[in-house]
Amino acid sequence: MSYDVTFQRRGLDALFDLKGRAGAIRGWAGDTLPQLPDRPNTRSSGGEVEVYYVGCDHWLARAPLDQEEMLEAQLQPATCPVEISIVRVSDTLSFFRVTGPDAPEVMAIACPLDLHEAAFAVDAVTYTEMFGLKALVLRCTGGFEFAVEQSFGDMVEDYLTRATV
Amino acid sequence: MGSSSRLASGGRINRDRPLRFRFNGKDYQGFEGDTLASALLANGVRVTARSFKYHRPRGIVGHGPEEPATLVELEGEDASGNRPATTVVLCEGLRAHSVNCWPSPDFDLGGISQLFARFIPAGFYYKTFKWPGWHLFEPSIRKAAGLAAAPATPPASGHFEARHAHADVLVAGAGPAGLKAALEAGRAGKRVFLADEGTEAGGSLLNRALTISARPAMDWVAEAVAELHGMKNVTHLQNATVWAYREHNLLIVNERSPEQDNILERSWRVRAGEVVIATGATERAMVFSGNDRPGVMLAASVQAYVNRWGVAPGKRVALFTNNNSAYAVAADLAAAGVIVTAILDSRKNVPPEALELVPDLPVHTATVAAGIFGHKRVRAVLAAPVSGGTPKWIRCDVLAHSGGWNPTVHLWSQSRSSLRYDEGIAAFLPDRAAQTCRAVGAAAGDLTLDRIVDGGADLPYAIEPLWRVDVPVQRGRAFLDIQNDVSVSDAQLALREGYSNVEHVKRYTTGGMGIDQGKTGNINIIGTVAMQQGVPLPQVGTTTFRAPYTPVSFGAIGGLREDSVLFPYRHTPVTQWNKDNGAVMYEAGARWRRPGYFPNPGENLQEAVNRECRAVREGVGVYDGSPLGTFELKGRDVPKFLDFIYSNVMSSLQPGDGRYGLMLSDDGLILDDGVAFRLDDHRWMISTSTGHADAVNQHMEKLLQTEFPGWQVMITTVTSQWNNATICGPRAREVMQALGTDIDLSPQAFPFMSLRDGTVAGFPARVVRVSFTGELSYEVNVAPRNMAALWDKVMEAGAPFGILPVGSESSHVLRVEKGFLSLGHEVDGTVDAYDLGMGWAMSKKKPDYLGKRSVMLRRAGGATRRELVGILPKDPDQQIPEGAPLTPGGHKQATEGLVTACVWSVVNRRWVGLALLENGQARHGETAHVRLRDAVIPVTVTEPVFHDPDGTRLRS
Repeated sequence: MSYDVTFQRRGLDALFDLKGRAGAIRGWAGDTLPQLPDRPNTRSSGGEVEVYYVGCDHWLARAPLDQEEMLEAQLQPATCPVEISIVRVSDTLSFFRVTGPDAPEVMAIACPLDLHEAAFAVDAVTYTEMFGLKALVLRCTGGFEFAVEQSFGDMVEDYLTRATV
Repeated sequence: MGSSSRLASGGRINRDRPLRFRFNGKDYQGFEGDTLASALLANGVRVTARSFKYHRPRGIVGHGPEEPATLVELEGEDASGNRPATTVVLCEGLRAHSVNCWPSPDFDLGGISQLFARFIPAGFYYKTFKWPGWHLFEPSIRKAAGLAAAPATPPASGHFEARHAHADVLVAGAGPAGLKAALEAGRAGKRVFLADEGTEAGGSLLNRALTISARPAMDWVAEAVAELHGMKNVTHLQNATVWAYREHNLLIVNERSPEQDNILERSWRVRAGEVVIATGATERAMVFSGNDRPGVMLAASVQAYVNRWGVAPGKRVALFTNNNSAYAVAADLAAAGVIVTAILDSRKNVPPEALELVPDLPVHTATVAAGIFGHKRVRAVLAAPVSGGTPKWIRCDVLAHSGGWNPTVHLWSQSRSSLRYDEGIAAFLPDRAAQTCRAVGAAAGDLTLDRIVDGGADLPYAIEPLWRVDVPVQRGRAFLDIQNDVSVSDAQLALREGYSNVEHVKRYTTGGMGIDQGKTGNINIIGTVAMQQGVPLPQVGTTTFRAPYTPVSFGAIGGLREDSVLFPYRHTPVTQWNKDNGAVMYEAGARWRRPGYFPNPGENLQEAVNRECRAVREGVGVYDGSPLGTFELKGRDVPKFLDFIYSNVMSSLQPGDGRYGLMLSDDGLILDDGVAFRLDDHRWMISTSTGHADAVNQHMEKLLQTEFPGWQVMITTVTSQWNNATICGPRAREVMQALGTDIDLSPQAFPFMSLRDGTVAGFPARVVRVSFTGELSYEVNVAPRNMAALWDKVMEAGAPFGILPVGSESSHVLRVEKGFLSLGHEVDGTVDAYDLGMGWAMSKKKPDYLGKRSVMLRRAGGATRRELVGILPKDPDQQIPEGAPLTPGGHKQATEGLVTACVWSVVNRRWVGLALLENGQARHGETAHVRLRDAVIPVTVTEPVFHDPDGTRLRS
């Protein structure tokens, strides 16, 4: 008997690393981004764009890949004010989805963080570890989603295959 | 073979489900619910093992993890070594054999060592190994002693798993106290993790005939388990041992029979808000002559075999005790029809409530067991009055003994919580908690059921400690630690030889160092030391309890980490192309799998490397430089930050330009080297060596967060946002043109150490003119999504120019020819920039930068330094091993340096090398000597550059 779970290695998303004071970012990005989440390790969304609060004065904006050029054009990383940093990092992360009734079981193999709903709410997002690698973890419909540094993608796929065989 | 010792009824075994098994080559039958130990006893097997050191015959002593004598090796698909027979759950077709005996425990040739026992006392190996050399003795001693070997092959099917869990309350042990604690926490809505090492819940209640509220105690257990299973907030595991208690309430649990068929064992790393230690108590042995003979068993274990497994370990049983609990054993034995020939009690006065349990049995007070008659089985016990009267032999085939009970405080102690000695029960008890934990039930010293569960009925506990029998009529050895063959005389020897601390006694005698961790004997060692030294037992103290509490499979600890995922690995989009094109792949820093070289059919490493190097020197090559660490820095204070972390000036760079630089650590040694490029007024890009990318990132963040929190510098790691194909060689420009680009490639418009954004082969690209090979190079950076396609186009466009892919072996050769430094080779954690002939990189203009003061202070001392030089073997065909020492004249003297690299140079057609040599920069032209084990290689000391010393080619 193996776990009742499905995992999927996802394609690229548009990702922009945002650093600086929230007000400065908001002032530059205008309506391009949804309201920045004000609580650490939470997320907000507007349309198809999500923003993750991943560190002190540090956010990650995420959108479908087909919006990458539009976001780039509106956020203008190369010309944004000196007090904020916007860097396109779409290729830096490999995203995985683990869904199904046993998704928490498989996540528990990889992740030391308490992902119980009482500790890791629906809007939670945080950097932690997956299989010993730095990883961004969040919930998705029917399970969990996580991202690791892109070059580790093959290894994580290897790991997930072993965990769910 | 019939089940000669199986009782006609009783026990928690399924008599409708017989199981066949094989032990030491003989076939037997047991029942579902048996352990290997209970099944062997049921089949009348008495000699089940040979001891570790003296090869004395041994039988089954205990009934659980405390078993010190019978270790077995499982065969077949379940192969594993050193499993206590008492913890091996019987299954159909199980095959096992005893360890450390040949050909069998009944007739063991190793038993001859008993004749020499007096010559191999405690610590004999410490003395023996001193002279003339321990290597002489080691093989034979290892062969004679020791336990089972590790399985030769991994399990045929299934895998191990390790996972994490979190709980408000972790309860270790599902005996009455553990179940009660779990029920209370579960009912309060807390997330409960309950783990118990037994196959079913109940703990000691499984072994004893007790009642709770006038009903069988196991009815209460069944109801408690059913209620717990109905709670979604409770995780209840059986066959799961909590074997380690770490910091911050992290506990590790080994689950041996997960529900999933394909999982062999599972390791849980549980982080708990609170820990309840309900691990019960362990019966300790009595120490008397012959206490290791087959048939001498722990009293509670005899009781367990009768009540839980329906087995009578003997037909005529005598008991030896110093406490009340053995009386309940005697009563249960009598009720099962076993003849109890005597109860020897070392106490003068036995509490009446104990005697009331055995009104018809012969009780000998103030009497001890002073010897055992019988070699491979007990035939009689020598009963000796404590006062010195005439001893007498009492016939029996099993002697059940009880030296009292030790609360099982292993986990408590592992948590670094303290213990205290309790005179009332003569045992160490949990005292002050060091973490959020508490002990309950027998683990806390409540040794009777009525103190744990309301309505529980039990015999009150009373004891008069007896740490060892000390009457003059004793015959033979009395063992303190049965598993490691440590006797009373061994402990006494250790004390005579000056090992007075109990930790020293432990290590000198190995008492308590077996895989049973001395569960039955440790306190007797402490007691013996106390008696010998004439001090109170608490003054001796305990040894340190360490994990694991019971043996754990390495596989369970490792979990999924095996084979391809044993270590992390990183790929670039070109990895598959490399594999498809025959690259020999291996790790090359920071877990990146990179191509070492690309051999043609029939070509060896050197031939392949020569071919690749020639391509770069004479034509064009390309390598995948994606793993280089890359960071984008933004902010008003980036220039002064870079000026601080690099030894040379970066702030003067204009947009589009770059500079090579060194990063120094606090102590002025080289942390990393790389290049910094200015993208615009406030944006910069720096690159680091592959292996140090994470370290440099951490270094920068640490400085910003601790030294310069007010500086406006924002760092984004973009190592994986930019992959690069580095096209290098005299014809690199032609390949770039063939690829198609909107960047002006002329040397005037795009000089060395500059950067241009544009398109290459139709892809958005950032092209950088840097060179690690000493040739004209274009580092074409693109997004990883385009990297594989770019690579194909480079190979296609480069084909007319004879382009070849280049592996890391060739990169190493090319950089050595140029004298470019490499971290881990020339930069070995001892050198500074001046040692490497790179004083030019140490700014004279900046007032300060990281590491400057340390460098200046060190150099002001004027001490001799090892400096980078080139070396040319006098014999041009002589290769020198990297790392080889240089000694004055090649003599056997202190080294004056080492060879950091030696390669076959395709441009020089000879071996060339780099070395760190004392005062090397002043010794160019001299002869130095490489000293090997069997040869001395003379070399000429040169400038550390063998190709294009002016850098004309890389700037072309």
